[in-house]
Amino acid sequence: MPTTTKQQRVVDAPLLRKVAANARLSLTEEEIKLFLPQMKEILATFSVLDQVKTTAAWQPMQATELREDKAAASLAQEEALQGTAATKGYIKGPRV
Amino acid sequence: MNSTTLPATEVMIGLEVHVQLNTQSKLFCSCPTHPSKDIPNSATCPICLGHPGTKPVTNKQAIAAAIKLACALQGKLASELVFSRKTYFYPDLAKNFQITQYEIPLATGGKILLESGKAITLKRLHVEEDPAAIVREPACSLVDYNRSGIPLCEIVTEPCLSSPEEAREFLKKLLEIMEYLDIFHPEDTIKADTNVSIKKTNFRRVEIKNVTGFKEVERALVHEIKRQQSDAAGVVQETRGWNAEKGLTYAMRSKEDEEDYGYILEPDLPPYTLPLAWIAEIQATIPELGREKAARFVKQWKIDPTDASILASEKKLAELYERMAKEVNPILTARWMRRELLRALNSSEKTIEEINERNLLNLFTLLDKKAITDAIGQELMKKIIIEGIDPQQYVKQHQLGKVNDLSELTNLCKEAITENPKAVEDYKQGEPKAFQALVGSVMKKTKGKGDPKIINETLKGMLR
Amino acid sequence: MRSMITEWIQDLRQGASAEEKVAKLLEELQKSNMEDHYLNAICKEQAIAAARAVDKKVKSKQQLGKLAGIPISVKDCLCVKGVESTAGSKMLKGYHPLFDATAVERCRNQDAIIIGKTSQDEFGFGGFSVNVGKDYQIPKNPVDSERSCGGSSGGAAGLTKKANIPALAESTGGSIVNPAAFCGVYGLCPTYGRVSRYGLIDYASSLDKIGPMATSIEDAALLMEIIAGHDNKDATSSTTLVDYYTTSISKGVKKLKLGIVKEAFPDNSEVESHVWKSIKKLEAAGSTYQEISLPKNAAYGIPAYYIIAMSEASTNLAKLCGMRYGMQEKIEGDYNTYFTKVRSNFGQEAKRRILLGTFARMAGYRDAYYLKALSVRKMLQEEYAKAFKDVDVIITPTMPIVAPKFSEISKLTPLQHYQMDVLTVGPNLAGLPHLSIPSGTLRKMPVGMMAIAPPWMEKRLIQLGGVL
Repeated sequence: MPTTTKQQRVVDAPLLRKVAANARLSLTEEEIKLFLPQMKEILATFSVLDQVKTTAAWQPMQATELREDKAAASLAQEEALQGTAATKGYIKGPRV
Repeated sequence: MNSTTLPATEVMIGLEVHVQLNTQSKLFCSCPTHPSKDIPNSATCPICLGHPGTKPVTNKQAIAAAIKLACALQGKLASELVFSRKTYFYPDLAKNFQITQYEIPLATGGKILLESGKAITLKRLHVEEDPAAIVREPACSLVDYNRSGIPLCEIVTEPCLSSPEEAREFLKKLLEIMEYLDIFHPEDTIKADTNVSIKKTNFRRVEIKNVTGFKEVERALVHEIKRQQSDAAGVVQETRGWNAEKGLTYAMRSKEDEEDYGYILEPDLPPYTLPLAWIAEIQATIPELGREKAARFVKQWKIDPTDASILASEKKLAELYERMAKEVNPILTARWMRRELLRALNSSEKTIEEINERNLLNLFTLLDKKAITDAIGQELMKKIIIEGIDPQQYVKQHQLGKVNDLSELTNLCKEAITENPKAVEDYKQGEPKAFQALVGSVMKKTKGKGDPKIINETLKGMLR
Repeated sequence: MRSMITEWIQDLRQGASAEEKVAKLLEELQKSNMEDHYLNAICKEQAIAAARAVDKKVKSKQQLGKLAGIPISVKDCLCVKGVESTAGSKMLKGYHPLFDATAVERCRNQDAIIIGKTSQDEFGFGGFSVNVGKDYQIPKNPVDSERSCGGSSGGAAGLTKKANIPALAESTGGSIVNPAAFCGVYGLCPTYGRVSRYGLIDYASSLDKIGPMATSIEDAALLMEIIAGHDNKDATSSTTLVDYYTTSISKGVKKLKLGIVKEAFPDNSEVESHVWKSIKKLEAAGSTYQEISLPKNAAYGIPAYYIIAMSEASTNLAKLCGMRYGMQEKIEGDYNTYFTKVRSNFGQEAKRRILLGTFARMAGYRDAYYLKALSVRKMLQEEYAKAFKDVDVIITPTMPIVAPKFSEISKLTPLQHYQMDVLTVGPNLAGLPHLSIPSGTLRKMPVGMMAIAPPWMEKRLIQLGGVL
């Protein structure tokens, strides 16, 4: 997708709802009323980065060596299931 | 013939193949990839369960395996190993994000040649972690995280495959290469997402997600192409699933409600510069692959090209062949291995490893010395595979050696002529088939042991 | 201040019982915590058992660790095996890690006693420890209970000041030095990669760092010496050799060149003048100073930091969905419904940052926000690198103000709240080691001076701390 212009990047209520759905957050009307102007203000201020000329860059640090391929003991099943809703050795989750 | 010069065909297929890389431990933790017992959640740890506080550390061997594959497929390697986070919510995803490669795949380009000579070009090859296995229940999902974090290699082709058969052949070739590279565990499966479109819909792209095994990929594609052809107007751009039991694809989701993955660079795994010396070391371990091997077999052992390509298609079979060919007539061995050995293996469901090579070599030696007939040879092949007999001893014990006593065979020929007057008559009228019936009759009397050459000559002489 | 660790160990050598000392301390903490809320969890049984083990070692004349019998607090976002570790969030209620964070393990290996988990802004999302998770209490400044401890490691700083207990804290954008300055203790945030993050509940993985807080530079240096060093469980943990920080304390600052950041001293405020007093002391001890300018960091530090931190945080927090660990509800409905329901238990600031972070990395926006911020980060790092060609240490006030009153904080908009980090985000974004050094008090409220060093030069900061 092409880069959006500053004008296109203004957050409105439908976009905020879309973002919330993507993050699996449900927002009440009051929360939308609260967050929307705050986010607009924050993002407008952050748009100062638009002026900066930069060249693309990744993380500033380098990873250390990779790990040797050696299998080690796993958790016992009871430990893996500890604190979860478990049935028959499986971790229970919501329906898909 | 080059794929890019082909005219736009009726069907366009692209594959996103997922194959498991053969490692001892998972991609980002040290849990075993092939646990000894098949118990759910018995091969997990806080890392592959995504427990807060844990961090991934990349498995060197998984990356080496992927580099090996990328080199063998003539892809162009990236200079850095860069992982990304693909965020989406699903119960099988331990962290609700998958560590994969997005911005910079491990390799781009490369190709696989089909038997026809057509090159299937590759877009990219990257490494990622597998999610967990999920059991769907009506009210909940049951998740087994043993698979969570298994190293996968994803290979994405250009949409240049033009039939389900080509798709299947491509996958078979890919597995053949991986087997040669010793980076694929035979118990593991191959999965593919495919996109398929037809000319009739102006190539409107439909994706079929998550089909397991190359035969299923072919089936799903055959079905999907039929569906699109029979209802071209109804085809929409969408993602479909494959129901292998019913043999149907079904609508999963449309483009609009597809998740926004919001990729970021994986901050727990900063870019790792791939050392050139390491890549060279890996490249040096790439063996001769099937295609090259087949060509060499034809040249070195002067065997039939079809025999060569079939024998070379499987690493173990090719290696067995070369060991045999060094000892005994390579042409005869190639023919017998390709036809009779593979047939016997198929029908017995035995594997190459289970064969006693000495016995096999003895059989080829007997055949080469013409000490037994082909018919007996076929019987012996089965017995070698299933019962593990030593053909030399067996032939002695059961007196299966070729009967080449002239007087005995002359008597039997006489009998056959007397017993089959019609065939004699037909032969004399000029029907060559009738002669074969007479030969068969003599062979039967020798229980397959008669030397066909002597029988032929004797009969011909008598009927002259 | 004298080293608390030295005193405790002397006591033990002279026959005091670690168990008794620790038991007494825990009893006091249990009481005082009702008021000041520095601890989200007190691990009484574990601590007593560990102290008893130390006493046994003393009796049987076994070799004692460098932290033998020393009570240490651990920020709630660091995993302690078997102890509820929530990063101050209701979402992680009930999470009892199966492992110790590497930093915690290294302290334990030196016979330290982990006494509890300190309070914080939920997941580190704040600078005043007022953004605590649902059902958590806000810690109060040990000098003035109407004021904030700072954050996000507020509980750690408060407890260090009040009870003189060294702390393992954590910083993403200033969360060690900020509360250290507001509470008047030393807070040392190391170079990114110096201390293993294994066992740290992530805020923003490319920015998170673990470091100590203490009432003396000796104790801060010793703790850093113990927790620093490569760990093969964290791919970002560096193999660079660790210096003996404790030997740097007495090395002095002769000929060290200090760079005073022009933009950090804008208006001759009282805080600034207190920091100047410390700079003059350093000058008296033989260092020189010169003015330097970091205009890019001043202008772009806050947006670059927040965009990266929020983008990473929004993915790190995705895993919290009421499965596998942490809080759960009755599993019903499809996964989207269930996850959304459980995730309503995030606090307000966490929700705000998840929303902003999700937005900043969404297709169509990520180029302008997330990817742009990454490249700006590189640029800001280069600005520091250039400055370090001329100077050895960079100096600013830690915070432009003293600890504010809760009544003042409540008037801030989220943006103003973020802008309070203007001085601390720079070294955090660049991954540079930085230390907040107590620099006197202003009407009783502590002021902190921040010293920033080039990568892996923590020892230089400790030299400064040793002089002041």
